[in-house]
Amino acid sequence: MSEVIVITSGKGGVGKTTTTANLGVGLAMRDKRVVLVDTDTGLRNLDLLLGLENRIMYDLIDVTEGRVPYKKALVRHKKYETLFLLPTSQVKDKSAVNPEQLVKLCDELRKEFDYILIDCPAGIEQGFQTAIAGADCAIVVTMPEISAVRDADKIIGELNRADKDSIKLIVNRIRPQMVEKGDMLDMDDINDILSIDCIGQVPDDEKVVTSTNRGEPVIAMNDSLAGQAYRNIVGRICGEKIPFMDFPKDTFFTRLKRVFGIQ
Amino acid sequence: MSEDIVKIKGTKSGLQLSFHLGADFEAIEQDIRGKLESGSGFFTRGTVIQVAPDALKKEDRERLRKLFSQHGVLFRTTEPVVLQTASETAVESKVPVQPEEDLQQMQVVNRTLRGGQEIRAKGSVLVCGNVNPGAQIIAGGSIDIRGTCRGMVHAGAYGDSKAVVIADHLMPMQIRIANLIARSPDEMEKTEKAERASIKDGQIVIEPIER
Repeated sequence: MSEVIVITSGKGGVGKTTTTANLGVGLAMRDKRVVLVDTDTGLRNLDLLLGLENRIMYDLIDVTEGRVPYKKALVRHKKYETLFLLPTSQVKDKSAVNPEQLVKLCDELRKEFDYILIDCPAGIEQGFQTAIAGADCAIVVTMPEISAVRDADKIIGELNRADKDSIKLIVNRIRPQMVEKGDMLDMDDINDILSIDCIGQVPDDEKVVTSTNRGEPVIAMNDSLAGQAYRNIVGRICGEKIPFMDFPKDTFFTRLKRVFGIQ
Repeated sequence: MSEDIVKIKGTKSGLQLSFHLGADFEAIEQDIRGKLESGSGFFTRGTVIQVAPDALKKEDRERLRKLFSQHGVLFRTTEPVVLQTASETAVESKVPVQPEEDLQQMQVVNRTLRGGQEIRAKGSVLVCGNVNPGAQIIAGGSIDIRGTCRGMVHAGAYGDSKAVVIADHLMPMQIRIANLIARSPDEMEKTEKAERASIKDGQIVIEPIER
């Protein structure tokens, strides 16, 4: 039984693409057959995060317009045998794909893969509508910041309007020490407004930046807190019950103190 | 000129109707009917029209009330005497008129209203869920929110200054009742008790209630 999951956020820069790449790698590490579909046509990034840019031959537009079968456009990941990327075009724009075409493509992909993750563009316009069209469920990524939470709220409303009722939340880039001081929204504030099921709390981690630039998702790094958080999310997607890490007081905070102590 | 027979003036609580002295009721009725049927959009459904109690005979007033209610307009005397309103409602319930029923119907919203979503209702609105920032409710009647209200709420949007807003946690961006607007304090605290906003002495007042 396969699942089509769209990863969306409304606001840009909260970590949709990073989340897609990490969850994709995480699921592939569990030997699931996974395909990542980039629908951010014209502003594609997912291939960079996976380090696959130089292997792209065909793209999503070639597939939806029927020039090649989708199998020809899939790019297999270097390390993970069961992880594939369906990249989009960097020269076309969002109007090149319509919702019906994507629904049709998703239905084909379902036959081959366990998980189909769709990386959604920012905004609520055509690109968003196309990306969510074929999805069974949605993961909304947000940040502990008032504008990101507002946009997430709007997106949840839009998803409801499109009859997508299975919506999960991931809160990305949490800075525990700022939450502690009351300078950043905490999980209670966010849950108060969004009131949907949260499946992940990812701390802000410098390793995410370095791993992004190297094209190796942080989830594969054993010593990264963000990586651990992503591994937990993957477990929850697979149906395991995993408690949330309490990074604020113990691990992250004390480690930070230790760093200052050394200085 | 016929335009001079009936004068309509905007006031705080709705539209005030006044008649040319000595004008014959038939002519008045004819003139109002013409105004209503011209469909200029001036008389929105739920508009409150008022008339001085001594301006018309009782049966004439009743005829005008029926005429207005056919177009969904509320017709009242300026200072409704309690007894009189009671007798009027009694007449109403015997002769149900469609638009009046519309006005009294309550719309129930069984979900959380999220940013960018809007509810517009001629009558009252009951929300079983939260009203999030960026959402808005515009109701002809009152608004009851079984949850936290953080959006914009406008009760009595067509001029009913007796409308109220009730919420378990009342912390909206703005409360509007009839033609008054109150904005939230810049530092908002989450309230523990349910609260009600209503108009008192020409101001929007918020007070805790039991429920």
